[in-house]
This record gives sequence, structure tokens and C-alpha cells, in this order.
Amino acid sequence: MLEQKLEELRRATLAAFAAAISLEELEEARVGALGRKGTLAQISKEFGKLAPAEKASLGKLLNAVKEDLETDYQDKKQRFEESELAARLAKEWIDVTLPAPGIRPGSLHPITQLQQEIEDLFTSLGFAILDGPEVETEEHNFDALNIPPTHPARDMQDTFWLSNGHLLRTHTSPVQVRGMRQFGPPLRMIAPGRVFRNEEVDASHEHTFYQLEGMMVDREVSVANLIYFMKTLLSSIFKRDVTVRLRPGYFPFVEPGFELDIHCLICNGSGCAVCKQSGWVELLPCGLVHPNVLRTSNIDPDEWGGFAFGLGLTRLAMMRYGIDDIRQLQGGDLRFLTQF
Amino acid sequence: MKFSYQWLCELVPGLATEPKSLQRLITMKTAECEGIEPFGAHFAQVVAARVVAIEPAGKGKNKLVRIDAGGGKTASVLCGAPNVQVGMLAPWVPPGTNLQGKMIGRAVIDGLESEGMLASAAELGINRDHSALLELSNVEPGQTLPELRPDWIIEIDNKSLTHRPDLWGHFGMAREVAAITGGTLHDPVHTEVLPQGEAAITIDIADTVLCPRYSALVFENVRVGPSPLWLQARLESLGMNTINNIVDVTNFILAELPQPMHAFDAGKLKGGTIFVRTARAGESLRALNGETYDLTAADLVIADESGPVGLAGVIGGADTAISETTTRIVLESANFQAASVRLTSARHKLRTDASMRFEKALDPENTIRGLARAIELFKQVCPEMTVRGGVIDTRGPLPRTQPIALPLQFVTRKLGTPVSYEQVTRILDALGFQSRETSPGLLTVTVPTWRATKDISLKDDLVEEIGRMIGYDEITPEAPVAAAVPPYSNPMRLYARGVRTQLADQGFTEVYNYSFVAQADVKVFGPDIREHIEIRNPIASELTHLRRSLLPGIYKNIISNMRHFPEFRIFEIGHEIHPKSGAGLPDEVTHVVAALYNSRGDEQDFFEMKRVLECLFRNARMAATRARGYEHPVRAAEVHWRGSVIGRLFELHPSLLADEGVEGRAILFDVNLQLAQQLTSAVETKYTPLRKYPTSGFDLSVVTNWEKPVAQIQDELTRLAGPALAAIDFIRQYDGPPLEAGQKSVSYHLEVGALDRTMTADEVAEIRSRIIEGMRGLGYEFRGD
Repeated sequence: MLEQKLEELRRATLAAFAAAISLEELEEARVGALGRKGTLAQISKEFGKLAPAEKASLGKLLNAVKEDLETDYQDKKQRFEESELAARLAKEWIDVTLPAPGIRPGSLHPITQLQQEIEDLFTSLGFAILDGPEVETEEHNFDALNIPPTHPARDMQDTFWLSNGHLLRTHTSPVQVRGMRQFGPPLRMIAPGRVFRNEEVDASHEHTFYQLEGMMVDREVSVANLIYFMKTLLSSIFKRDVTVRLRPGYFPFVEPGFELDIHCLICNGSGCAVCKQSGWVELLPCGLVHPNVLRTSNIDPDEWGGFAFGLGLTRLAMMRYGIDDIRQLQGGDLRFLTQF
Repeated sequence: MKFSYQWLCELVPGLATEPKSLQRLITMKTAECEGIEPFGAHFAQVVAARVVAIEPAGKGKNKLVRIDAGGGKTASVLCGAPNVQVGMLAPWVPPGTNLQGKMIGRAVIDGLESEGMLASAAELGINRDHSALLELSNVEPGQTLPELRPDWIIEIDNKSLTHRPDLWGHFGMAREVAAITGGTLHDPVHTEVLPQGEAAITIDIADTVLCPRYSALVFENVRVGPSPLWLQARLESLGMNTINNIVDVTNFILAELPQPMHAFDAGKLKGGTIFVRTARAGESLRALNGETYDLTAADLVIADESGPVGLAGVIGGADTAISETTTRIVLESANFQAASVRLTSARHKLRTDASMRFEKALDPENTIRGLARAIELFKQVCPEMTVRGGVIDTRGPLPRTQPIALPLQFVTRKLGTPVSYEQVTRILDALGFQSRETSPGLLTVTVPTWRATKDISLKDDLVEEIGRMIGYDEITPEAPVAAAVPPYSNPMRLYARGVRTQLADQGFTEVYNYSFVAQADVKVFGPDIREHIEIRNPIASELTHLRRSLLPGIYKNIISNMRHFPEFRIFEIGHEIHPKSGAGLPDEVTHVVAALYNSRGDEQDFFEMKRVLECLFRNARMAATRARGYEHPVRAAEVHWRGSVIGRLFELHPSLLADEGVEGRAILFDVNLQLAQQLTSAVETKYTPLRKYPTSGFDLSVVTNWEKPVAQIQDELTRLAGPALAAIDFIRQYDGPPLEAGQKSVSYHLEVGALDRTMTADEVAEIRSRIIEGMRGLGYEFRGD
């Protein structure tokens, strides 16, 4: 009797679960069958009247039915919940291509970017990054660099003179002097910065521009070292193998002094309009530090030697980004600056 | 500086290197060539032609000229020259000739054909005379013009010759060419032609430091006239004006040896003595260029009895200049101190071919050589001329240079490549140095006079001579050896880099502005222009002083960019330059100025900039302050950080935008980065243990008047809460009903607790009451109590 009732309960409840079309109906069917006052609870009340042997076998059945129904219920319930979640989430569709609100990053000046890149490169090579003032003494800017007052080399750099007798530095080379005097040998340093020349401004000339001075002073420093170093350095800056050549150049603070050319990056040395068909582009002045320069900075030229070079950051930035008008760099025009 | 290839060939006989290759070699071994241009290529085609008939042609001044070009060749050319006449010899440019870039063909004018053209000297590039046909002599029809040949002009960058007085003349460059190519140098000077005997003039040098040497020679029977064509063309090819046979010879020698010389009309000199002295007060000189120069005691002059007749080493005087009537000349060949010439030239803003050379420190040995060369050249251009008396050569003690001891090992060490004794001596010999091996591996090198004035005095200088002639391409690159030591790290630079990066991340774009300001800028942003450092030689009226603030630049950026963008953020990091009393350098202080411009701006922009500042400087506090003239009168704050005022945050005075026709608002901050960096490095971060016991929280809403700064309320709450306070957070500020007008309510959430236990509810309540009582005592009220 009870056995039939249990079987009937299983069948009817499974059918009710299957027929349920919502979580509510499913729950209703569960309560009807498995709730505290549900059919199964009523059947189990009748167990009291049974003989112990019967009790054991029917108890087993009762548990099996209960377990079947519970499992089926959980299954169905999970399915309902999943589809409900899916339906709810489906309504949360957004257009991912809508513009996001808020601030976008600005940008660093192209010369800053280039300068930081080169600074990092030199830092990795053990070079200190030094600063010097933009207003300099005549001594630092000229005399200590082996350019005495009446030297015609002073004409090579049109100078802004100040009412207090000082000047606006015409190159970053005075930082060599400051570096040598502060740190002494051995020394590896660079000095990036703003320099000034009293020149009319046009598309290729500026009175304010940027240089990066470099210097290495050690016991043994040769032209062969300089060539190696510059080649390595420039290959890193241009991110490709660079062919360099040195030819004589005159700068009073180096001896011997060089102009360093690189193979034209446009035509790789075969000749084009950019390099005026020569295959070479003049890039930077360099040389072995003049013994007078070492001496005025309290370094004994018989014990120490060095090389120095001056990289034109402005020129390099113009080369890298293809900037054809130098005035853009200090023009403060966001249409230009936000391109970098 | 321009060099004639033909001239170099004359000085290096047998030179076989093509002009373009030579140019490359000079660039690699001596000095930078800026370019190479053909000169007078047409001299290969232009021939002498005799005018055989002249017929009228059309209405204009043109005539149809029939010419005999020799060898049976005849032609008809149209010619409008005033001096064309039957029987004359003139240069004929046949069709198909490239004349200074212009192709000469068969032109048809008024229906008449012109086969080529007859040319003036200017058209041929010989001189600048356009007025008439060049009349030829000593040549047969059909022959090319005598002594004129196509040439190449090599232009060398003057800057690369700054240290090489000898290279300001062809002879010096020829020596380089001979050394480079292995050729032989031909010296055009024969000092044996110099006349002996008593001089016809006396020289009085007041100071042999300023004028180490003055040589001169008197010539008679001078007949001033045009130079031969070759001389005219040669000077013209180098960009020098041809004047007359006498002056042209001096210019030729200037371009050859190089020795600047000057010819005075002896008939116009007063007295028999030439004085070399400094100018006296009130003296002036009317110069050859037509200008009059007022002289100072720092100017060295050449003078006769009556006064200055020349500015030494710079320019001659007009009153004693050579003219067509000159029959006697005094030829000066002197040496002047480079510095003195340079200063005089700079003082009078007068750079001449002579001063450019003297200021490089010329070889004093060349004065005599110049005279010898002049004697021979005068013979060519004016055969009647004769020398009167002997050479006068007045000189001070010429500096003797010490020989340089040059260890071969030193050369090897500096170049980083092994060099041999043979290599070194061969190079030094070719360049005119004398070297001998005084002990094994040690050379003693004597510097030639033309390199000893300024250029070469150290063994390092000799390394350059050897290195460049070997060729730097021959040196194998080698890695330098250095100790691996972490470099000094520059804290200010690292800090500024961090600020830059953060600002860019917050939407700011970096600008670079000039270091210059002018009156108009400081009117707005102050201080007075007299408190700025002035530029003595400004390039433009808006660049007269050095900036003491980055604000003027940023202000200009705002005005110029608002036309293109309704909203933007910019910043600059740069130096403020503050004058200092005394001789020291000014203070250069690194500042950052950032600006937010919004065409539809409101007060939220101010707080946005405050947020940015708080990102850069954690826990920075703003305190209201009296606004400056360029600031919004009630929107200006000082930025306090770590106990110092590091800068200001403010809205730009709205009138500054409105006056420029700009709508919207601009919020700026200006922070002293140097100070901020010092404050950064002074602080060491120390760890505080985390709380082990929970805290309790409660809210308080303080009612007070509208102007009471929220920061002050928070400070007072914090103080009253005492050490139990774990956190205090601003919730909101409210004004409006039911509050009275002019009042506001400020709500805070406070968390309190103890470090060693959980506080009881009573303890928390007691703290809360204490705060409320304390605040009431300060005049605050509470809402919701």
C-alpha cells in the first residue's frame, strides 16, 4: 500500500517538476511533495504502524524517492536560475564602442621624450646626468673651454650677453667644466639642456635650442675608443646599425677635434637629396678633451685623458620625427605637441 | 673661403686628382668642403673674333655684326654694345655654349638670326663690367682667350679654418693637397728678388706687441690700369672685386700666401715716415669703403705725419688710396696682433678680407715673402714699375716656439692604433714640420712658422696632424675600458621626470617656452622689468629680459590654443631666473606651471586642479590667500606641503581672458619644484603597525557660517577627537533649508578606537560628546542633535 503511494508520489512529483514553467511553480510542486506538510511527510507518518521488517525495506524506498525528487528539483531549479540570469544579463547589453568619459593622457614634448630615452641609455652605461645653469659665466662658457676672449672661435657662437656681465650659455659644454671640477676623474657624464645663440629665427634657425653634452675621462681614452663608443651609442639611438666616420673639425676644447658623420639614414649611403648626394650626414662634433681644458679643471692631462661630444637634441628630434620647421618646438601649439 | 682648383694645380705641379675627388680628400683630411662649382666652363668654347662688318638691324639699338672667327669660320650676331666697331677683336660665344648656366643658341630677334653672341667681361665672369664688349688684344681670331681656362671653385667652411691661418691662402691649402696626394709643393716666392740697400722710407712702430713686424717697399713709375684678364678672372672666381693692376696684385697675394698687403699712393703720404701707433683722441679715418670711422685709443692705425692713413690690418684710408694718377706707391706688408685686429674689427663692425686673416694670427715670416711675390707680379701687370731703394723690415722680437717632444708611444696611445716612425716622419715632413729622433721612440718636432702662431704648440696637436693624414677610417674601433661604478644619480632630474610623467598621465601636454620676457609680459605678471636680468644685445623687442616666472609663457599658450580647442591642459617645467646682487650667477629655480583651460569652465575646474596637485604632492593643503593682480580676486590659494609653501593654485583673473576675447576660465598652479624636491628627499617613510582591534564610527554634521574653511573644521574635529581618532572622512557640505541663509552644514564620518583593546560603546559615546561640546565651545552648532 505504502509502496504504491511512494511510487505514485515519485511519478506525480517528477511530472509536476517537469511541467513547472517557472521557479515559483517548481517551488510549489516541491513544497507539495517534500515540504514539512507535504505528501512525503504524510506518508512517513504512516510508518509508525508498520512492522519493523517492513519499516526497513520501505524506509529504504522512501529515502530513494526523496533523494530522486531532491536531485531532480535541484537540477530544474538550477536551470531556471541560469536562464533567468541569462535573460537579465542579456538586457544589460551595452555598446562597447561608445566613447569613454574622462581625461586622456597628455603628451611629453618630443625633445623631452628623446632626451629621456638617451638619458636612460647613458645611465645604463654608467654615465651621470648633470645639470648646469642657463646663465653662465664667461669663464665656464669660454675661457675654461680653451676659448680666450680674443679667440676668433667666439664668433662661431653668437652670444647673448647679459647686463650683469654674464651670458646665456651658447652650448652645454660648460657643464663639462662643472662636472670635472665637482667630481674629478674618472668621470662619465652627460649634460642635456637648453642653449642660446643670438640668431634670427627662421624655419631652420632658433635662438633657443637643446644639446646633450657627453664626456668620459679616464686613464686611457683614445680615438679608437671614441669611434667605438659613438658607433655603439648612435646605433642604440637610431635602433639600427649606424656607419660612422670621423673627419677633422675644429673646436677649441678638443684636440684632435672631429666632425662625426653617419651614413645617411634615408639612402644608406648611396646618395639622395637629404644628404646632397654625398651619402653622409653631419651629425655631431666630438674629440679628445684638450689638455688645457683638463688642466683648468684641475685634472692632470699627463695622467688622464678623455673624449667629449655634443649631440644636437633639437636636430635629432627633427630628424627622428621629420619636423621641417624648428619654430614648432617652442611654439606651444597643441595641434603640434599632441602628435607625440 | 674659396679655392681655385687651377691655382692649386699651379702650386702642386702634376696634381692628377680630379676636382671632386680632391674635394672629398680635403674634407676627410683637412677641412670641411661645402661645395664645388664650375667656373668659366665656357672658356673652352669662347674664341676671339674680328668684327668685319656692322649693319643696322631693326628699330632698337641692336646691330647685325658679321664676324670672322678664324679658320674660315664666319658668323652673324646681333649686338647692342656701344663699343662694337669694325676691326675690333671681341669674344664670341658660339651657339651650344653653356654660359654661366645659360645655354647660348641661335636667337631670332626681329626676324634676324644671331649665331651665338659677342660678350662683355661680366658675361664671361671675368669682372663686373657690363657696359661694353670686352676688347681683346694679343690673340688671333679663332683662338681661345689667352690664359683663361675652365676652373672649379672649392668652397671650404670658414669655421673649419678658424685655427688655421695658413689655410686662408692657396699656398697653405696646396701644402695640404701635396701632403694628401703625395705631390710636390711649388713655392711661388723667390726672396732673392728682394732689393738690398737703403730703404726709401722709414717705419716707426710704437708697440711691437701690437705690430710685431712691418715690412715695406717703395715702387716708382707706376702706371695704374686694368689687370690682365687671367688676374681679373682669378679674383672674380674667388668672389673678389677687381680694382686695378696694383690693388689686384695685393689681393692676389692675400689669397695666395696669405699675406694681406696695402698699397699707399706715396705722393699723398705726408713725410718720409710711416707710423704704426694707437689712435689719438679725436682722430678719425675716411676709409676706402667711403665710411668714416671715429677711432679710439684701442685702435691700431697706420699714420703719416698728418694723421691716420689706415686702420691696421682692417682697411686703408681713402685719402691715400691708389688712383689713376698714382705714380709712386708704398707697399705695406705687415703683421699685426690677432687680438687687436679682432677687437678693432668688432668695434667698428667692419670685417674685411684682411681682418679675417689677421685675426687668425698670420705667420710673421710672410711679410717679406709677400714683398718678394709682389715684385714678380708687378713685373707681369705693370712692366714699367721699378723698385726704389731696399726693403725696410722693422720688427720686434718674434716669438720662438719650443720644439715639441713627441714620444711615438703617445701617438699610438691617443689614436688607439699603432703608428711607425716612418709614418709619422713622412706625414710631418710633408706638412713642413722638422722632426728628428733624439732618443729611441722620441721625436723632437720643430713647428713651421705658419703653424706656430696659434695652432700648434702641444704634442696633442701633433697627434691630430698624424691622425688626420693617416685617416681616421684606418683606426679600428675599440671599446673603452672603465670601472663599473653606479653613476651619481641626479635627484632633481629624476623628480622632475616623475612630475612630467604624472602630469602627462593626468591629461597635460608639455610645452616649451622661451626664457625671455619683455615689458608687456611683466606688466601683467610682475615684478617690475628692472628686477629682471636684461639682455645687452637682444635679438627682438619681445626678448629683452630673462623670465622670473613661467606664467607669461603659459598665458600666451592659453590665448593661442583656445582658438583651436574648447578645453585643454598644458604644463611647462623650466627655470625661473632671479637676479642676485653681487657678481654671482643668478638663482635659477625649477618651477612647474600647469594650466587647465575650459571654455565652459566652472568652479569644478578649480577643484580638478586641486586634485591634480594632491596627486603630485600627497597631503598637500590649500590655504586661501590674498589674490595677486593676475589672479581671480577670491580664488587663490597657497599650496602648503610638508611645512612649506611650495606654490600657488588660482584661477586666472577672468579679465585676462576676456580682454583677449577669450571665453571660459583658466585654472593654474605654479609650484617651486626645487623646494618640493628637497622636501621629498627629507622625508623617510616609516611603517605603522596595523590595528588589531576594531574601531567604531559615527557621523557628525557641523553647522557654521558659509565662509568657514572646511579644512579648519576638520582640524578642530581632529584635535578634539584626540589620539583615539583612527580616520576622519569628509562626507558632504550642504546649504539651504532648513538652514538659515549664510549657513552651511558640513558632515564628517569619524572612526575611533584604541590600539590595545576594543573600545566600549560608552567610551565611544564619551569621545563623541567631548567633540560636540568642544565644537560648541568654538561656536559651532550641530544638526540632527
